[in-house]
Amino acid sequence: MDDPLWLKHWYDRRGPFEAECRRARDELLVDLKQPALAQQRVLADVIDMSAGSVHWKERGYDVVADDPGRFRSVLPVMRYDDFVPEIRNETRTKGGTLTCSPVLRWLKTSGTTGAPKLVPYTLHWLLTYRIPAMKAMWGTYLEYHPELLAHPYATLDTQTVREDVYDFVHGIGHQAISNRHPKVNSRDWNPPWYESPWFGPGVPSSHEGRMYHRIRHLAARDLHYISSINPSTLISLRDILAQRADQLVSDLRAGTLEGRPYTEPDERAARRLAEVLRRPDFTLKDVWPSLTLYTCWLSASASLYAAKLDAVLPGVAKLPFMSCGTEGVTTIPVDDSLHSQPLAVSQAYFEFVPAEVPLGELVESGEQVETLLFDEVEAGRDYHLIMTQGNGLYRLWTGDVYHVDRIVDGTPWVHFVHRDGIFHSFTGEKLTESQVTGAIQRGLRSQGIDAGLYMCGPRWAEPPYYQLVAEVPEPSEQLDRALSAAVDAALHEINIEYASKRDSGRLGALEAFTVRQDAIAAYVESRRQGSNTTQYKYKPFQRDVDFVTALTSRRKGVRT
Amino acid sequence: MIETKRPPQNTRREIVALPVDGAELALHLWRPRGPAKGAVFYFHGLQSHAGWQWEVGPQFADNDIAFYVLDRRGSGTSGGDRQDLADVDTLMRDYITALEHVRRTIGDEVPLSLFGHCLGGSFMAALMHHPDFTTRYDAVVVCSTWLGKLHATLDEEQRRALAAETSTEPWDPGLRSEDFTDDPRHRHFIDHDDLAVRTLTRRSRAVLLGLEELYLRPRRALPPVPSAYVSGVRDPIVDLDDARAVYRRMTGANGALVQLATDKHYLFFTDFRARLVDWVSTFTLLQGVDRDG
Repeated sequence: MDDPLWLKHWYDRRGPFEAECRRARDELLVDLKQPALAQQRVLADVIDMSAGSVHWKERGYDVVADDPGRFRSVLPVMRYDDFVPEIRNETRTKGGTLTCSPVLRWLKTSGTTGAPKLVPYTLHWLLTYRIPAMKAMWGTYLEYHPELLAHPYATLDTQTVREDVYDFVHGIGHQAISNRHPKVNSRDWNPPWYESPWFGPGVPSSHEGRMYHRIRHLAARDLHYISSINPSTLISLRDILAQRADQLVSDLRAGTLEGRPYTEPDERAARRLAEVLRRPDFTLKDVWPSLTLYTCWLSASASLYAAKLDAVLPGVAKLPFMSCGTEGVTTIPVDDSLHSQPLAVSQAYFEFVPAEVPLGELVESGEQVETLLFDEVEAGRDYHLIMTQGNGLYRLWTGDVYHVDRIVDGTPWVHFVHRDGIFHSFTGEKLTESQVTGAIQRGLRSQGIDAGLYMCGPRWAEPPYYQLVAEVPEPSEQLDRALSAAVDAALHEINIEYASKRDSGRLGALEAFTVRQDAIAAYVESRRQGSNTTQYKYKPFQRDVDFVTALTSRRKGVRT
Repeated sequence: MIETKRPPQNTRREIVALPVDGAELALHLWRPRGPAKGAVFYFHGLQSHAGWQWEVGPQFADNDIAFYVLDRRGSGTSGGDRQDLADVDTLMRDYITALEHVRRTIGDEVPLSLFGHCLGGSFMAALMHHPDFTTRYDAVVVCSTWLGKLHATLDEEQRRALAAETSTEPWDPGLRSEDFTDDPRHRHFIDHDDLAVRTLTRRSRAVLLGLEELYLRPRRALPPVPSAYVSGVRDPIVDLDDARAVYRRMTGANGALVQLATDKHYLFFTDFRARLVDWVSTFTLLQGVDRDG
């Protein structure tokens, strides 16, 4: 039986939510027409929030309060790791160290070394930046697809979740930005479906369990819209429908949810769905003929999912998710452009460095970095992004590289190209070369083997996975299996996003092949002779897995 | 007064460095972004510090209250020896300096409450009776404090021996997180808080005895401001009957007794936190009402 309280919440919140989202979008549109003013306002706010902090006073950065023009010359460009000592202090003071706002949560995301980062989630950041960004994006979705609020079953939102938190840092929750639980106050993210039975902390926390609950609750409804961040979530939704088709049909027929009484039996819907799910090539549009929209990341590596998404969601309109990370929002969609969005000039103070500049080396050596402001970038070029957020992380080198597509009303429209130093990311796992190297070393060590030459690459399959070839003294299929398991387990530990995607079935297990010593060297040499003789060199991290076939052609058991 | 028709507001969290007698003390503050309508100065207990107030501070600020916590010399992020209490005069001077700063910052018109928790209540009571403390305050809350504990539990000879104590050997007060709260998250926090003071030197107990002397043998009368003694119905650490008797003698007709339906010691780590903050906020703000206006 439906809980009337969640329905009451939905109807109570529909009007205000729509008004809040449209207002946030309108405010963003105004800022996009006067980006200089918006950037000035953000910088003034950042200075106001941090000039009185312990860190700024200790370092003398508070002098910029009297002269904001000195901001870039006084404060250094920072990496996350440079903030770690201050963050450690902030975990104890819960505000006042990096910025003069209470820290409400620590946001968890993968760090370069494998230890999860602690990104401060402050009250000021929540109220002034993060929630308005979400609302502005939903304002755009509502502008183009108002049907997403047509009724309480119209939207399936997988971009945010509500999960109980069990990880705390000195009393404060350490959780993913996508976990909006518990609600901080009435100004926190509060969409109409916040209390819906498929959205709350009562649903299973496993990816598959949660997905099944979502499907079961919305299976026989006129669903219009599926919201997602990663395209893999949408593919996974279809996979879980296929895997649990019998259970779903049975639950619909009996009016149950995982066998327990839930609602009225619906024989007609069960019969229709059984028929749909019996077809091996069924689409989400077959399951929900009412579907009119889906949203997710569509650029960079996510664009590689385009064909799959078209197959799974034929004829369904799409809109992009904002470009953002745990560290902050960079772009927000304001229209139906799929591959370019305006720089979110009201979200952060942005600086740019041409992509060809070895920014990592400059920052590492502590050299002064010349940066460009939003009105100094040129269309057609790629840039490193440095951003100052209202949560205390100033002049943060994000590692992201953006391409400037065009300039509109003075605001750059950009899209995310790739992450500096990132080896590959199928679905948000963002594996860095150092993480993979560490995992391989650990895996080989577990087998009593010293690391030699190896090559690693991404293999597209359903689900996608990584393949690795490593030189060892005595190759064998038994060693292949042991190494596969050991490296996969190491990556699981080192990169929490990899773990999450592996656990939810969105990534397959890493596959390792052992080859005799010198095999990779010989392969590299053969490539050198076949193509560019002077410039071809050994690169352990490959963009494809051609090397696997070439290196293991005499071995059996290679998945293709 | 508290605005009841507005959404939650943005608030600020600041740490003011106060140099006093060779140490830099950390005065922590949570406040509304606009002018505060009231202020609360919190005296923390033996092991805690301002870092324990991450839930309480923002709520006070949202209620338009500027909430101040001085990390006592040697506690939290303040300078000073961590296991060895400074002498009574130094400690009193620290609080006097901090409260003078607070009154200067908030101005004369804003009502100021003093709030002492557990051992912090003993520091507060001592300060209120100290001849050099002249900052005006408008209300007092004593919370889960065993006022006069050493005088109640030690006979005269033992007190004389304690007063002469000079040992720097550690003394363990035997505080257990399960006595503070039932909540696993807060218990985990208490058990793993690396800023918490777990032991004191034996001679530090002589300082605690000296603090009690200040309010048990008062050399001056207290101003006639309203006060309340707040606790659970039972307290695993405090003999409430004894504590309340001392409190009533100290405050006379100005005192009230408030009980919350818990048997845990650290009320801010119980389900009563929000209600207690709201009650103290109201109690404070009411002192600002101009009844002659």
